[in-house]
Amino acid sequence: MRGFYFIIIYLWMLNGLTAQGKYLTKEGYVSFFSHAIVEDIKADNNQVLSIVDTQTGEIVVQLLMRSFMFEKALMQEHFNESYVESYKYPKATFSGVIKNIDGLDDLNLETEIVGTLALHGREKEISTKVAIRKKGDLLILSGDFSVEVADFDIKIPAIVENNIAKTIKVSFDLHHKPYP
Amino acid sequence: MLGKKAYWILSIIFIGIIAIALSFYMYNKPHINIQKTEAAYRLSAQELIGEFKNDELEANTKFSDQLLVVEGQIHEISTLKGNKVLALKPANSASSVICHMLPEESEKVLQLKEGQTITIKGVCTGYLLDVIMVRCMLVQ
Repeated sequence: MRGFYFIIIYLWMLNGLTAQGKYLTKEGYVSFFSHAIVEDIKADNNQVLSIVDTQTGEIVVQLLMRSFMFEKALMQEHFNESYVESYKYPKATFSGVIKNIDGLDDLNLETEIVGTLALHGREKEISTKVAIRKKGDLLILSGDFSVEVADFDIKIPAIVENNIAKTIKVSFDLHHKPYP
Repeated sequence: MLGKKAYWILSIIFIGIIAIALSFYMYNKPHINIQKTEAAYRLSAQELIGEFKNDELEANTKFSDQLLVVEGQIHEISTLKGNKVLALKPANSASSVICHMLPEESEKVLQLKEGQTITIKGVCTGYLLDVIMVRCMLVQ
């Protein structure tokens, strides 16, 4: 259902009367970091899809859970099979609005994004600070925010409780190009 | 001769060492060796995209996290953070198979040209607007 919703938004964005103000990347970067007593765990995803409409401030970000690359194969396996259940929930989607997008002419803008993060079959309202830069024809959005593992019904077995943090730091760096 | 007690202690130590070695091996288990592992499926970029467009859920179960060999025509060659990215795009298709190449493949990719038909082997992670493949290498 979310995929359908996303495609509708996507098509609507593509079919906008004016292509002006639409930016897209298929190679956005999202990483997450878990700091716990036993170990630090980091995973990187370089295949993030993100679409921004600078006229309305709307943004849709979608990624594949399986595109997160871990240093250790076992961690990647546990992440996909036991924690986020990628076979059942292959994607995570964020859809939201960038506030004060009109101020973007300044080239550098510190503002806020408010929206919904859908992950592991759960949805959660999220607001995060974002730094927006224009570099040549690129539109760059970067920042980080924290998510509570429990908010997304991700169950961590007691035996690895000390290996995985309850709050995960998510960082993003999205370099959009004008569309088309 | 060792007593019965000593045998027990030795056995327990022996089992303990094996258990520690095994868990250490599991913990440090290497990532899939693309070159040496047999691919689960061989198909064209067009077939792969078609399967995802037709039934994304089923295609996900079938192809995601699997090693695939895919043949297709290069539409675009780009570089992301030093690594090569090849987009295999069938004629009359809006979607591509986007292949993120392994770092050691960069030099070989330099010999390739857009429009050329190639075969790659890599791990499928799913479908966004395109089919995404990671840890890819060229197959001769």
